[in-house]
Amino acid sequence: MDAVRRSLLGQLARLSAGAALVPLSSLAPASLAQAGINQQPARREGDPSKRYGMLIDLRQCIGCQACTVSCHIENAAPLGQFRTTVSQYEVHHQESGELATFMLPRLCNHCENPPCVPVCPVEATYQQQDGIVVVDSDRCVGCAYCVNACPYDARFINERTQTADKCTFCAHRLEAGLLPACVESCVGGARIIGDMRNPDSQISRLINEHRDALMVLQPEKNTLPQVFYLGMDERFTTRPVAEPVALEVLAPHGQEMGYEFHH
Amino acid sequence: MNSTIELLAPRYDIAWYPWAVQYFFMIAVSYASLWLAAPALVFGKQSWLPTARLALIACVSTTLVAPVALLADLHQPLRFWHFYAYANTHSWMSIGSVVLPLYLISVLGFAWLAWRPALQARQQAAGLNGLIAKWLSMGSGATPKALVALVGLAALMLSSGIMLYTGAELAIVKARPLWNTIWLPPMLVASGFIAAAGLILVLNRVSRICAPDATRQMLYVLLAFCALAGLIALSWLLDGLNAHVGSVAAALESVRFSPSWRSTALWGGLTGVALFASVVFLLTRSAQRQPALFAWAWLLGLVAIHMGWMFRWVVLMDVQHVARNSAGFHHYGIPAGSSGILGIVGTFGLWLAAILLIELFIPWRQAQQGSQLPGNDQAASRAPLTANKGAPSHG
Repeated sequence: MDAVRRSLLGQLARLSAGAALVPLSSLAPASLAQAGINQQPARREGDPSKRYGMLIDLRQCIGCQACTVSCHIENAAPLGQFRTTVSQYEVHHQESGELATFMLPRLCNHCENPPCVPVCPVEATYQQQDGIVVVDSDRCVGCAYCVNACPYDARFINERTQTADKCTFCAHRLEAGLLPACVESCVGGARIIGDMRNPDSQISRLINEHRDALMVLQPEKNTLPQVFYLGMDERFTTRPVAEPVALEVLAPHGQEMGYEFHH
Repeated sequence: MNSTIELLAPRYDIAWYPWAVQYFFMIAVSYASLWLAAPALVFGKQSWLPTARLALIACVSTTLVAPVALLADLHQPLRFWHFYAYANTHSWMSIGSVVLPLYLISVLGFAWLAWRPALQARQQAAGLNGLIAKWLSMGSGATPKALVALVGLAALMLSSGIMLYTGAELAIVKARPLWNTIWLPPMLVASGFIAAAGLILVLNRVSRICAPDATRQMLYVLLAFCALAGLIALSWLLDGLNAHVGSVAAALESVRFSPSWRSTALWGGLTGVALFASVVFLLTRSAQRQPALFAWAWLLGLVAIHMGWMFRWVVLMDVQHVARNSAGFHHYGIPAGSSGILGIVGTFGLWLAAILLIELFIPWRQAQQGSQLPGNDQAASRAPLTANKGAPSHG
């Protein structure tokens, strides 16, 4: 049963990754029609001639968490809250006994069909014309509807600002001609960001080259993520069937003291 | 075959706090009790008048408290005006933010009209009560029945908007498969009616009105909505039993892998069946035995309230602990502060305060569908169904 389900999901993943690329080739106009209930509102701000996306070459990721740390510092996220992070898994082949570590960097997918945008009751979160999904923290009421609506857990309520917070592809750095902090700090050069509307950009060339091998997370949700993974195992595109290893250790009054391992 | 261990993953906090449970519970009791007040106060069915009087106080008190809980669940409550400054048509929550105040106004208008004849009758009373009655009744003009019915109809219509938006708001969230089902909105409505009927049974007892008609009617309402809830649950299950993804698949997975979900499912199922069976038992007893048994119906009322509240707790809180990207289940201890226990207790405390204020200053026991002869309406103050004997006297 599991194998059937996985292969089905794998096909879905590939199909959807292909579908996600369609808007690039057709260069669809960025602004959509006036939105009905739970449909995408018109995009605003940003450069309409660009569409940012990210390709993560998992073969280059060593799970050093440099991206996690540099993002944390660049964007001043509160302790324990992350705009990007790298999930790490230990995979054990039961027959051969081989062990492998799998690293999965996670961040906002800046989806082509972002479920977090239409739910916002005050249009504080919106998609720019360059595809980047951002939050206007002066307008956000902190209802957290978007946090629940994002299937990737890419959003959180910032403890300090009490508003929704998320990865912005470091839009402030892109504007200044810099790379996002996570890309800049990636030791293996695993994260590639760029304008997918420019056929000569590195990301466009890589997408063309590896089109069939690219996968996105949770393709069945029809969010059309624009963060593409190269060297991905399809079993990790949805919530992996895995055993949690770390247990929180709490003091008697509920304060977190540290972690304890099962194994 | 591989086995996988998750070595490192961030901890994802819940985004909606128990305030959300309180809001969904209060607003559901509010709209359901409005519908239970409607037969007598909108459509003029006299046999439903004792029920309607209890339902109306339940409706008004919960309608007053629900928006407070909702506001408290915002992380930036003082920015609530942004809902109106940046209103839009693509977010169910934005639509709800327009419907909710209109609903609140219509309910208060409806209750004011239904209570007005009794307030007018009390204008000459001594002390604070007379003063408040004089001030609240706004003159001694007639309260046309048609106006009460009209405002009641408007409130009923808006309440349907509340049912729709509160359900749809959750059901469209694909990121939470357990919410993402067409069967959730009707289930919220059905369990709302169960809780409201339960609350009316309890109020019937604690107000010492003890109207047997109200008890019987609420038992029938419980019977109908327990059966309906059972049907909805069954449809939901059959609808998704063979699917690999979606609401039912997610629920089965939770039940399979989490002992706490197993006990929740077991508890919910058993309580529902027990409630339904007890109601059937009470309603099928002989006419001689019923009065003695009906005196204990308020206990079933407590169970019904528990069902309505627990369903919302499971849907809103427990579902948020089902991990979307990491292994296992998130653990959640209810914090003691305002985003936890204090919020829950505080909302119920506020509700109690609201109901006590109404009890103190409003002759809610004499609510009726308007009156043509204000001030002289002796029938209202001597309504036989209010069983004044032994009732607490507040002037």
